[in-house]
Amino acid sequence: MIMQEKWRVYLIIGVFLLILIILPFMSNKYWIRIFTTIFMYTTLAQATNILMGFAGLVPFGNVVFFGIGAYLTGILMVDFGLSFFPALIFGAVVCFAFASVIGYPILKLKGHYFAIATMGVSEAIKQIATNIQITRGGMGFNLPLIPLKIEAAYFFFYFLMFSAMVLVTLATYWISRSRIGYALRGIMSNEEGAKSLGINTAYYKLVAWGISAFFTGIAGGIFAYWYAYIDPPSVFDIGIAVRFIIMLLLGGAGTIIGPFLGAFFIELLTETIWSKFLFLHLGVLGAIIVLVVIFMPKGFMWFYRQRFSLSALLENVRKGKL
Amino acid sequence: MDVLLEVENVSKFFGGLGANQNLTFNIEGGEIIGLIGPNGSGKTTLINVITGNYTADSGRIRFIGRDIVGLTPYVINRLGIARTYQVVQPFVGMSVLENVATGALFGRSGKNRTLKAGLEKANEVLALCRIVDKRNELVENLTIADVKRLEIAKAMATDPHLLLLDEVMAGLSPKEIDDALEIIAKINKMGVTLLVVEHVMKAVMAISHRVIVLHQGKLMAIGNPEAIVKDEQVIKAYLGEKYVTRRKKSGGS
Repeated sequence: MIMQEKWRVYLIIGVFLLILIILPFMSNKYWIRIFTTIFMYTTLAQATNILMGFAGLVPFGNVVFFGIGAYLTGILMVDFGLSFFPALIFGAVVCFAFASVIGYPILKLKGHYFAIATMGVSEAIKQIATNIQITRGGMGFNLPLIPLKIEAAYFFFYFLMFSAMVLVTLATYWISRSRIGYALRGIMSNEEGAKSLGINTAYYKLVAWGISAFFTGIAGGIFAYWYAYIDPPSVFDIGIAVRFIIMLLLGGAGTIIGPFLGAFFIELLTETIWSKFLFLHLGVLGAIIVLVVIFMPKGFMWFYRQRFSLSALLENVRKGKL
Repeated sequence: MDVLLEVENVSKFFGGLGANQNLTFNIEGGEIIGLIGPNGSGKTTLINVITGNYTADSGRIRFIGRDIVGLTPYVINRLGIARTYQVVQPFVGMSVLENVATGALFGRSGKNRTLKAGLEKANEVLALCRIVDKRNELVENLTIADVKRLEIAKAMATDPHLLLLDEVMAGLSPKEIDDALEIIAKINKMGVTLLVVEHVMKAVMAISHRVIVLHQGKLMAIGNPEAIVKDEQVIKAYLGEKYVTRRKKSGGS
């Protein structure tokens, strides 16, 4: 029974990926662009999931790594003559290092205090980026245009974001199955108890945030090259963080599939509502989110597990509810 | 047996309150030590000081010859001192097996374990603590007796030399206490030294090789259980002055 369930999951994932791979060949640029955005948000939500879903820390300022990744990719390409991929990787590595450095003091904070501190860091870096020379300040930064035909460029970024999304998901899956996952869930559930079992909680939180920052930086770097123009308010926008955190909460933090559900749901919903209710779309979107949160407070995935999983079904049978 | 833990003049103050004052004693390898005392006598503080949850204000604690004052709890655990908490600290949201596997993957020898070996070790410990049949339950669905056993199992999974149990029998039925005592005896037979904080007097006296009595932060008595139950000071602290005088008058024992 359980084996069958496992294969069914593989089958669903396979079909899902196949559809996404075929999709750009079957549709127009408009939809390719929308799906590239969805992949970006899935990547961001999944990267945040590593810290938020497993260690229980809410990094509202995670968008800072998006901005740093974007700017470093641009600066390394324009001022240091690197090509795109080395610049992208280097930027992401710097994000990892930066998370480790600021994480050392900040990760000692708990709950809301941690969330607020990360926002502070994000705003501070945004101000710095606005006021120094190398980022061209508030004027914004122009990246070199990709030397491809427009059609090909659309495909390039579509599959690049797709790969980033798949990679960060594989990383999350690996973490959830490894000793890091055990340590992080222990920390989320009971940090004091975790320490008493020999877990170096500070170290594992740093590792989790570092990996989270790395992939957030990757998404930022791809975004910068894709849009070819960035400025501090757009890439250090707390609104981006709010969006991917809402997606994560909606989908279900601490699950692998959750970020996909959240990002696909919100982005596609925004698209439909936006085209149907031009003036009211934010209000309608907000109302839907409120309803979802009221009825599924822990997100789609946890709701599904509670109501529809095999074990929940058996539980209900035992209790005589069915 | 060699001395495992040396506690020397250890004090811990909270403001003006001396929760532990100049405590000095040794624990030898293989012993079961009972730690008793009225509420507020500093038993849990002493455990917290040994495990690094609190740092001693003065004095020295040496574990297998190594000074451990000032080390953080996770380092002390990796040296081989495990503990349970009076207020249980299970990992909510994880299954019993995952809870114990977390201990097995870290702790003293967790580094060398693969995930699979960690789960195997967890199963072994669960069998030892007699909750192996509950391994797939979420911890929030366990009874208090099972959670207490889970706490022992988590601590045991870290392969300790010294295990500190903080009131693992509080709130259990007589039958469950007997079970717990059997588990403790078995753990001791495996070569683990134990320090057992307990209010259930019959239980402590039954299993302890030696008993330490704390009273208002000070060490009041230390010795074998038979001597402790006859100690006048101890009786006074537990049952009050009146009881002692009445007992003297009647000349009874």
